[in-house]
Amino acid sequence: MSLIAENIRVSYGKREALRGVGLTALPGEVTAIVGPNGSGKSTLLGAITASLAYQGRVSLNGRCVERMKPWELAAIRAVLPQASRLAFPFTVIEVVRIGLQSGTAGDRPEVPMQALARVGLAHYAHRTFQELSGGEAQRAMLARVLAQVWAPVEDGQPRWLLLDEPVSSLDIAHQLQVMEIARDFARAGGGVLAVMHDLNLTALYADRVAVLADGERLAFGTPAEVLTDETLSRAYGCALRVSATPPSGVPFILPHAASA
Amino acid sequence: MAALSDIETIPHHRETRANTLHWALAGALVLSCFASLQVGATDVTLSTMLAKLIHGETLSQIERVVLFDIRLPRLAMGVLVGAALAVSGAAMQGLFRNPLADPGIVGVGAGAGLGAILAIVLGTLLPAWLIDLTGNQLTPFAAFLGGWGSTILLYRVSTRHGRTSVATMLLAGIALGALAGALSGILVYIADDTQLRDLTFWGLGSLAGASWAKVFAAGPMILLAIGVSLTLGRGLNGLALGEATAAHIGIDVQRMKSTGILAVAGATGAAVAVSGGIGFIGIVVPHLLRLASGPDHRTLLLNAALLGATLLILADMIARVVIAPAELPIGIVTAVLGAPVFLWILLKRRGLVEL
Repeated sequence: MSLIAENIRVSYGKREALRGVGLTALPGEVTAIVGPNGSGKSTLLGAITASLAYQGRVSLNGRCVERMKPWELAAIRAVLPQASRLAFPFTVIEVVRIGLQSGTAGDRPEVPMQALARVGLAHYAHRTFQELSGGEAQRAMLARVLAQVWAPVEDGQPRWLLLDEPVSSLDIAHQLQVMEIARDFARAGGGVLAVMHDLNLTALYADRVAVLADGERLAFGTPAEVLTDETLSRAYGCALRVSATPPSGVPFILPHAASA
Repeated sequence: MAALSDIETIPHHRETRANTLHWALAGALVLSCFASLQVGATDVTLSTMLAKLIHGETLSQIERVVLFDIRLPRLAMGVLVGAALAVSGAAMQGLFRNPLADPGIVGVGAGAGLGAILAIVLGTLLPAWLIDLTGNQLTPFAAFLGGWGSTILLYRVSTRHGRTSVATMLLAGIALGALAGALSGILVYIADDTQLRDLTFWGLGSLAGASWAKVFAAGPMILLAIGVSLTLGRGLNGLALGEATAAHIGIDVQRMKSTGILAVAGATGAAVAVSGGIGFIGIVVPHLLRLASGPDHRTLLLNAALLGATLLILADMIARVVIAPAELPIGIVTAVLGAPVFLWILLKRRGLVEL
C-alpha cells in the first residue's frame, strides 16, 4: 500500500532528464521531491503520473500503474499540475465539480463546496475561473484535486495527492495553509507526494525528502538526514549552511548564509 | 463555518438555466418547424391545409405535393443539417480546446467540397452504368467521401504513438484546407458554364435541392454522429482542463478524441454533402449558448443541436421568402446574420482568441 517508483528513465530527445531514479512514498506521510531547476523533479512526477513517456516501473497500492485504466487511477490518486489554462469560461465551482465527475465522491454534491471552503475560496464559487489571480487559481485547482480524492482512505486503501509545486505562486499565509492541508491529508491516512521548491517548507512539512540533481537521486530520507550542508551544497552547486530551530531541531536554510 | 451551510444551498445557477434552456429551445424548434411549413413560394399554407383536414376535406394535389414532397423533406433536411453543423462545431471546439475551432477549419469541409466539385465537373466522364446507379446522389456521396478522406489523412498526419497533438492537427487542417481549395480551384477553371453555375450554388450552400432521398442518405449518418457526440460531454469538460489533467481525472483521452473526431467528420461530411457550405452555424451557436448557460458540454451539445436546427430553419425561411418566388442560397443568409454576431463575440471577448 504505497507508491513505488523504480529505476525511472526519461529522455527528451538526446538529453537524459532522469537516469534511473526511484523512490517509495508511504501513506500517512508527506514525501517531497526537491532539487535545483532542471534537476528532473517535475519530470519524475510526470513519469509517476504517466503524463510523459518513461522507462521503469511505477506501482500504486501494489498495482502496476501501466496496467490500470484511467478511471481506476483517478479513483485513487489526484494530480495537481503546475499551471492550468482553462479553455472555456467555467466558474470555480464548475471546475471543482469536473474533478468530481470521475472520482468516487460523485454522489456527494456537497463535496465541491467543502473542498473550496478548505482552500478558503468558498466565496469565489460562482466567479469564472479566468477572473482568479494566479494564487487563487492554484488553490481552486487544489480544491478540485481534493474533491477528487475527498476521503484520504477508502475501502481500506490509501488515496494519493500528487502535487507539482503546490505553493509556487502563493503568499506565505497560503503556503502554510496548503502545506497544512497536505499534511492533514497524510495524517488521515492518505499519501502525499509533492514537488517542492522551498527547502524550508519542505523541512517543516515533509516526512521524507528525495533530493534530485542532474537527473539522479542524491539522497532520500527524513529532512534531518537529507537536508545537510553537504547534500544541499552538492545538489544546488553553491555553499549552503543548514541551521536548526532550537526546540524541535527542524532544519532551516538562510540564503544569507549561502556563498557561491 | 456558519457561512458554509448558507453557501451550500446556493442553486447551481447555470446548470439550472441550461436545463431550462433544453425545453425552451425544444419549444422554439417546434414553433419554427410549423412556421417553416406555413410559408413558401406558393400561397399554400399549413394553417389552411390543417383547417381543411379538420373539416374532413381532402387536400388538393398541389397542396399534397407542396407539403409532402417540397416543404417536409426540406424541413427535415434543415433540422438534420442545422443540428449536425452546430453539434460538430461544439464538439470540435471542445476537442481542440479552442472556442474558435470549427469543422471548416480542420479541412473536413474543404475535403467534402473537393469531393463534391470532383463529382460535378468530372462526374460526366464516369461510365454510364455508374452514373445511372448513383443518379443525383453522386455529388453528395463524393462530398461525403472527401470529408472522410481528409479526416483520415488529417488524423494520420497529426497522430503519433497514439497521441494527437491539437496544434499539429490545426496546422495540418489549414494545409489540407488550402490543398483541397487549390485542387477545387483547378477543377473550377476547367469547368464549363453549366457546371460553374452548379458549383456556385452548391458552394454557397442551400437546402433547395432537398428531397426524401437526400434526407434518407444523410439522415442516419447525421443522427449517429450527433448521438455519439452527445456522449462526449463529460470527456470534453475534462479536456477543457488540459489533456494531462483530463487523463488524471479518469478520462481515456485518446479514445475520446478519436471518437469525437469521427463523429465530427461524419456529421460535417454528411451535412456538407447534402447542403454545401453553410457557414457560421457551427461557430455562432455554441458561442451564444456558452454566453447564455455556460460551457458545460453535458448540456451544451444537446442545446447546440436544438438551437442549430432552429436557426437553420429560420435562416431557410428567410432565404425562401425575401426574394420569392426566387430564393437566396441559405449560406448567404447564415453568413449575413452569423458573421456580425461572430465579430461581436470577438469584440466582446477578445481574451478567447489568445487561448
